[in-house]
Amino acid sequence: MKKVLIIGGGGGGLILANHLDTNEFDVTIVDKSDLHFYQPWFLYIAFKGSKRKISRPIGELVRPGVNFVKDEITEINLDERKAYGSRKVVYNYDYIAIATGTSPDPDSIPGLRQIYDEYGDYHSNVYNSQKLWSHVKNFKGGTIAIGQASPTCKCPPSLLEGAFLLEERLRGMGMSVGTSDPLSPSNENDPTKTGEKGKSRIVFFTPFPRAYSAEPMNKVVEPMVKERGIEVMPFFDVDTIDVQNKTINSLEGDSLKYDLPIIVPPCKGPKIKFTPETVQDEERFIKADKNFMKIPGYDDAFAIGDCNTLPTSKTGVTAHLEAMTVSELIQGKYSEFNGRINCPFDTAYGKATFVIADYNNPVVPYPPTATKHFMKMSMARIYWMTLMGTADPIFERFFNITKPEKLNRKYSVPE
Amino acid sequence: MDVGIKIIDSRGAACPGPITDLARAYRNSKVGDIFEMWATDKGVKADTQAWATKTGNEILETREDPDKIVIRIKINKR
Repeated sequence: MKKVLIIGGGGGGLILANHLDTNEFDVTIVDKSDLHFYQPWFLYIAFKGSKRKISRPIGELVRPGVNFVKDEITEINLDERKAYGSRKVVYNYDYIAIATGTSPDPDSIPGLRQIYDEYGDYHSNVYNSQKLWSHVKNFKGGTIAIGQASPTCKCPPSLLEGAFLLEERLRGMGMSVGTSDPLSPSNENDPTKTGEKGKSRIVFFTPFPRAYSAEPMNKVVEPMVKERGIEVMPFFDVDTIDVQNKTINSLEGDSLKYDLPIIVPPCKGPKIKFTPETVQDEERFIKADKNFMKIPGYDDAFAIGDCNTLPTSKTGVTAHLEAMTVSELIQGKYSEFNGRINCPFDTAYGKATFVIADYNNPVVPYPPTATKHFMKMSMARIYWMTLMGTADPIFERFFNITKPEKLNRKYSVPE
Repeated sequence: MDVGIKIIDSRGAACPGPITDLARAYRNSKVGDIFEMWATDKGVKADTQAWATKTGNEILETREDPDKIVIRIKINKR
């Protein structure tokens, strides 16, 4: 029986494992943690104080016949088809799929480690999200700087989702938002007094040219950003943070003062030593071709999900679809990943949209609705089924009726 | 001479888009570096122009090949 070794028990690793025929393949997942987390929910822990249980043991999420081993892989030799774990354990394979996800790197930017340890964030883990919530819920007034430290980041919509949910939260606490609050015309908001109790500014900084990186979706959300009093600082890629003076400085030469910093750290690829080492880029992401997720030069090695260099978003849906393609390829069938993204985007106040595109079709200017918000919330429940493959028929139908070329015909405004 | 030109291949990238790769390359660049960006996203020309204006860098050439848009950028400020 051919051995399939999967490094990582996240969405990509589990979906791949659960779609392989265990009568034909000896399938093993290795992960350094024995828990799997539903990461999209970090947002609701950080900005709504959600107490939902979002982890399950990986061993309970695999189909019968799939092996799970808790171990940390430190080295992979692609030429010898060997992976090395702790305690000198060697794993041999016929096929390998690297699906480790990313790891946060708060040490690559001066000052960021201190912010990360003190305030947390809403991308890294449950603990950091809870830490951020403790600052958000006790916020009394002043300027909140929120954004991603570098362009290499998971889940592109999540950054603005954070700003939107934060605005909803602050207003819910009776606070004004913005220097000239358009939603409270009677509010005498003075920009020089933003540190005052009950008055806040949300400054959303981004390395991109606009609030949402992809222009068609920006057209949808930018009016909402303005209406809610959220300020945007575009082309702001964090260079250094002066913790003493509470100032963030950008590579592009701008500065931003804060009372509460919410900074999503840069992420990097896995800390695994590869032979050959050329398969990783300078940020440790694993090079893979964009349609078959094959590591260049190897027919038996794949990189799926956030850990690879594909020119698409680092998001659960791409890990899911890439894993489906790789499972077909390993089982000798033809399959190709077309770059499809389908990222749920909570725009707060009970509405959401999806960022939908693929390699050949631009992002759809898809309007937020309450129905889409319900779908995003439902995903938190059916997620566990998607890992097992039980929800495949529903997803297949959904992806088919929401193809970007179809939606663009309906929603895209010709230039 | 193409020696020393860093190719930034962003073909197919729609979201977050080619600026991701450009900004990543900028972080690790030095004055005098030349980037050649390849992209298929139509918005790349306007975005790169805005980026160059903001950062004080120079666009040397923009051309449309049949399969991609090619933009050459010289790093003057870092």
